[in-house]
Amino acid sequence: MDSTLQKIVLDWIPSQSKVIDFGCGDGILLKILSEQKSITGYGVENDPDKINACIINGVSVIQQDIDAGIHNYKGMGFDVAVMASSIQCLRKPKDAMKNILKVANECVITLPNFGNWELRLGILNGKMPSSDQLPAKWYETKNLHLCTIADFEELCSEESFVIKKKVYLNRKGKSSWLANRLPNLFAAQAVYLIG
Amino acid sequence: MKVNTEKISFDEPLNLKSGEVLHGFDLMTETYGELSDAKDNAVLVCHAFSGNHHAAGKKDGEKKPGWWDELIGDGKTIDTKKFFVVALNNIGGCHGSTGPATTENKLNQHNGANFPEVSVSDWVKTQKLLADHFGIDCWEMVAGGSLGGMQALQWGISYPDKVKKVAIIAASSKISTQNIALNEVAREIIRKDENFHNGDYLSKEVSPKKGLKAARMLGHITYLSESNMSKRFGRRLQDPDNKIDADVNYEVENYLQYKGEQFANTFDANSYILMTKAMDSFDPAKDFDNDLVKCLKTIKAKLLIVSFDSDWLFPKEYGVEIQMSAIKAGINSSYIELEGDYGHDSFLFYSEKYSAALKNFLNSDG
Repeated sequence: MDSTLQKIVLDWIPSQSKVIDFGCGDGILLKILSEQKSITGYGVENDPDKINACIINGVSVIQQDIDAGIHNYKGMGFDVAVMASSIQCLRKPKDAMKNILKVANECVITLPNFGNWELRLGILNGKMPSSDQLPAKWYETKNLHLCTIADFEELCSEESFVIKKKVYLNRKGKSSWLANRLPNLFAAQAVYLIG
Repeated sequence: MKVNTEKISFDEPLNLKSGEVLHGFDLMTETYGELSDAKDNAVLVCHAFSGNHHAAGKKDGEKKPGWWDELIGDGKTIDTKKFFVVALNNIGGCHGSTGPATTENKLNQHNGANFPEVSVSDWVKTQKLLADHFGIDCWEMVAGGSLGGMQALQWGISYPDKVKKVAIIAASSKISTQNIALNEVAREIIRKDENFHNGDYLSKEVSPKKGLKAARMLGHITYLSESNMSKRFGRRLQDPDNKIDADVNYEVENYLQYKGEQFANTFDANSYILMTKAMDSFDPAKDFDNDLVKCLKTIKAKLLIVSFDSDWLFPKEYGVEIQMSAIKAGINSSYIELEGDYGHDSFLFYSEKYSAALKNFLNSDG
């Protein structure tokens, strides 16, 4: 997670809160959150190598498939759930969104924007596009449900997921005038606080 | 690796959970590596049902090294160049610590079938006295598999300030109904041996070896996985020259016969019954209104819970149950699920991912 994005997430998550990070990777975000905001954090991850990285980082982690396990975390007293660049990897993103809002009061979601101009150009070229956010080839990608910012926000409004805060970032991971003016075209990723 | 095997005597009375009192007891211990001057590098390893104090290294004349030799030693997962590892035979066992078969009886002690019922928390109590004996104020880690994992969990609950990390491997916070049932079949097989004499066989100078052997054969099946047995033995017929018994047809039969026989020659029947009863009754949540979350809230140590996918005796759901309760309780706890080739026994053997998880956990910041 790059520094601007990390700063946003750090700002949004209250001190001393109980946080669950779905698809936590090496657990670095939870480690920083516990050091800087004294949170109690748990990661959910299904890759044994990443779980080992979490253990090295001293982060509490549970090995589980997110699609199968997300509903198990209801009633555990989580204040915030984080899903950083993993919603598009799930088999049922809509169900996961509904469940995640039952797990925690608020959730932080980051999303690679498939509507970004660079990716659109790739498609125009007649090939599956790739970018810094979406580097994998079509045959090895974990992404099952890529979407654009417009698609995601449409789902939120249809399902009454309240977007409390949002930030659009350009290819360099910075907030820019263009990315905010025409996010669906110029933002490479979006960060949402949903309640 | 520096190895020290020692029988240590404790004179103080031990109040057992059952309400009975042991007036002094011996613990057979084995240590590996050296205790640092600050006494802050100690790791306690707790043995499973039939284990003992000999956890690592190979002694003269031994065919097999200690039960966790693949993981304990110089440069190994639990590195004895860095850590001082303590292993012991629990009371009620039959490898040198005070138990049903010990006869020293120095202080009005029960023996044989009269040996009192002991529990996992009693073992942990004796292990705390052992820590005091070594001058260890706080374990860097307490670890164990199966019944040993239950002791590790109990350590976190009984002495929250005296252990930094707890590794619960192929274990559960209480055993399943099916496990109790299997244990009872094993006990019944022992009891029905004509030499058992209600547990009083020692005074009659006999031993219920047949029962013990059959009980172990049953137990052994539950420690392995179906795929492991198929891979290892298949349906191959036993070579006639190496048959342990004329009735044996298949290799797997011969193997179980051999393992059972070997076990019956070294294990005590009353210990078998006592150990399985301790396993059956382990349920730390019972003291906390049957609420595991409330129970785990007492823990200050960091937990690592490990399950193996081929373990059907302590299936992964039991590891997950502890982890989910730990998350609810808000304590520091991680859960990892590993591929294990050996069923329940997987916890005994080295594998890259297993070793990495345990090593990283042990060496992570407290």
